[in-house]
Amino acid sequence: MATPAIRIEGLYKRYGKAEALHDLHLEISQGEVVGYLGPNGAGKTTTIRLLLGLARPSAGRAEIFGLDCQRRTVEAHRRLAYVPGEANLWPSLTGAETLHLLGRSQGRVDVAYRDELIERFDLDPSKKVRAYSKGNRQKILLVAALMTRPDLLMLDEPTSGLDPLMEQAFRHSVVEARQAGQTVFLSSHILSEVEALCDRVGILRQGRLVEMGALAEMRHLSALTVEATFEGMPPDLAGVSGVVRTVVDGHHVHLEVQGPMEPLVNALAGTGVRELLSREPSLEELFLAHYGPDGAAPVSSGAPMAGGDRR
Amino acid sequence: MTGPLIEAPSRTLDLVGRHPGMVVAGHVSRRAGRSGALWGLIFGFFIVVQTHAYTSTYKTQASRDQLAHAYASNIAVNALIGSERGINTVAGWVDWRFAGILGLLGCIWGLLTSTRLMRGEEEAGRYDLLLAGQTTRRRAAGQAVAGLGAGLLALFVLTALGTIVTGRSASVAFSTSQCLLLSVTLVSGAAMFLAIGALASQVANTRRRAASMSGVIFGIAYALRMVADTNPGLHWLVWLSPLGWIEESQPLTGPNLVAFFLMLVLVMAVTAVTLRLAGTRDLGAATLHEPGSSKPHLALLGSPAGLAARLMRPVAIGWLCAVAAFAVLIGTTAEPATKDATGSQGIEQAIGRLGGHGSAVADYLGLTFLMLALLVALVAAGQITAIRAEEADGYLENLLVRPLHRTYWFAGRLGLSTLLVAVAGIVGGLGAWAGAASQHSGTRFGSLVTAGLNVAPPGLFVLGLGALVIGAWSRRTSAVVYGYLAWSFLVELAGGVVPTNHWLLDTSVFFHMVPSPAAPPDWSSAAVMTGVGVLGAVLGGLLLWRRDLKNA
Repeated sequence: MATPAIRIEGLYKRYGKAEALHDLHLEISQGEVVGYLGPNGAGKTTTIRLLLGLARPSAGRAEIFGLDCQRRTVEAHRRLAYVPGEANLWPSLTGAETLHLLGRSQGRVDVAYRDELIERFDLDPSKKVRAYSKGNRQKILLVAALMTRPDLLMLDEPTSGLDPLMEQAFRHSVVEARQAGQTVFLSSHILSEVEALCDRVGILRQGRLVEMGALAEMRHLSALTVEATFEGMPPDLAGVSGVVRTVVDGHHVHLEVQGPMEPLVNALAGTGVRELLSREPSLEELFLAHYGPDGAAPVSSGAPMAGGDRR
Repeated sequence: MTGPLIEAPSRTLDLVGRHPGMVVAGHVSRRAGRSGALWGLIFGFFIVVQTHAYTSTYKTQASRDQLAHAYASNIAVNALIGSERGINTVAGWVDWRFAGILGLLGCIWGLLTSTRLMRGEEEAGRYDLLLAGQTTRRRAAGQAVAGLGAGLLALFVLTALGTIVTGRSASVAFSTSQCLLLSVTLVSGAAMFLAIGALASQVANTRRRAASMSGVIFGIAYALRMVADTNPGLHWLVWLSPLGWIEESQPLTGPNLVAFFLMLVLVMAVTAVTLRLAGTRDLGAATLHEPGSSKPHLALLGSPAGLAARLMRPVAIGWLCAVAAFAVLIGTTAEPATKDATGSQGIEQAIGRLGGHGSAVADYLGLTFLMLALLVALVAAGQITAIRAEEADGYLENLLVRPLHRTYWFAGRLGLSTLLVAVAGIVGGLGAWAGAASQHSGTRFGSLVTAGLNVAPPGLFVLGLGALVIGAWSRRTSAVVYGYLAWSFLVELAGGVVPTNHWLLDTSVFFHMVPSPAAPPDWSSAAVMTGVGVLGAVLGGLLLWRRDLKNA
């Protein structure tokens, strides 16, 4: 069995009395593209900084390709590239100078691929960093990371500041990386990006990993969304087995169903249903199910979320 | 019938500030005020100590006449500090001495402070947020200028305190109005260069460029004043230089209102132009257009150490030029100064306390090399704050996520800084020798180069202390290092004037430096200072390795 690209065991990180990470366990296989989600302050960046050896864990250990992140940092760094969410680059250097420096520091560059990336991201490398917009500075870091063809790409909100066209270029690059067998660890707030690119998704809440799995598995475990439109006033479906949430709006009912659909289908028989649609939850719905739509107290995917809301 | 699309909020908002439109003024005045107060303390202390030294060293009119005679014929001193006019009186000496030295220091403080707080803040992007508030670009610039004014006021108040304390001494006897006028003169350089720095901050797009631009203006003003003071036929040039106006103001011996008027006009005119330009340019841009792109120059960009060398190059060259200029100045003034000091009990006591026993020129240089040691220690402190800034600004992270161990990076960075400190010491020794040789003082080349090296260990100690603080208490690096330097220097100065507790003197790094070339360097003491510095650096490196990387 191949060594995992990332292995985290019982990782804790405390800043004084505040606990940023609590007993984190995570394993990512080589060649996987994994999304890492969570609201601000959930511990995503802390996890990445611990993996990079920029921060010290309070307890536990983390490995990259079997190399301890704290003890064998330099060896681990030879196999990875990192893109932070905030591009702090030396303002007096030009883009080309920055890429040269970062390439030489990494020790390897695929020059032809670098030039292709510069073109793909529509980057003018002759400009000084201070003259770049935030998005263009971010492109420099993306090119610097991708051009080294690392075994592991660690991306912490890498598309912040990119326009939709460049976002597409980024997705294209990640797909290329996956095809080349590279591992990608992607922390992002852009759920559509994670949904489009990732094989597995981890959801972090208050320093704890509350969900980890393939999107299909998570959908299977989560509630199915059912939209029903009736000829007349809809019946009361809140008590039907498996229905965890109902929202009634005139002749229309929005339902969330956990488990088998049969009790609901039976209950709907002979109630004058004009239209019935069902779909799996989007990643956004899964994410919000863990945090609540307004950032309020989260709701467990296994427990009933709410019942019988009417408006 | 149409109604409002959005209902007005039913609750009223809490008022959290009485003047939300004045937030820029508050921000700048806090920072300028702190800096102005610190330098005001130094100015005040310098005035008290130096005037006391003059009155106690030159007690008789004959000795003061001898001093005036020596300086009257010394072209080099006239060029460097300004021409003396009647320094055989306390008032004449104070006018010449403090306008010549503190006036210059005030100019440098002014240009550095205004470019830091105006262009530096804008470059860092902090003005974007402030300007999104209830203000305009022009009003914000006006507030920043007002904030700088608060810094100038702090400098003035503490300088005036020093002059008033001095003036109350029976041997000095200046009236309060004289003291206040003297203080106005001493901070006038600061006022003019605060204004010039503020203008340069509109014209240039980086803090470094704005400071360089102001520095060039300062250099031209200094050169004009030098030519005017060394060539009687060109003395009219003094009226073309702001530094000449400071010299001509003569607040104690014969106030020249024209000079004061010119200084006031300069400050007001430059401030008006600054406000006008601030209102017509984009935020973050400059009046002077600068190309935002260039061909790549890859020299030194092959490694993190090379990058560090490239980034520190302009600052290092600037510091080395400053050290060289200062060393030439003290070398040039050594011969004439010691003509008057020979046989002076005060000077001999000061030298004796420091362990000096050489020739008069060597004794004088031994004392003045303390200032050179301070300058070299400031080079070290500047390096330490630059190292910390790389971490705080997030630049370091770009390197440390690559195959580079952070202790190797730290060792490389400290190694370059050590080299700079050592070179600064040697340049200081060479400059002093060049200055002394121009006056045929007979001081040997080898002894002055050795004396230059002798000022490096305090700098290395400061590097080690700074490295330790970076490892242990990184966010307070600048405050601790500069605070310790200020403490060391003040303790050393105080120890030279009044009897001071030995334990207190021991806390000053300069106290442990032998005043070479007055006495041969004590290499064992230098080795201890260097060793403690190395120990601090090693401990700092270990602590840095063990801790989280911290941004600002």
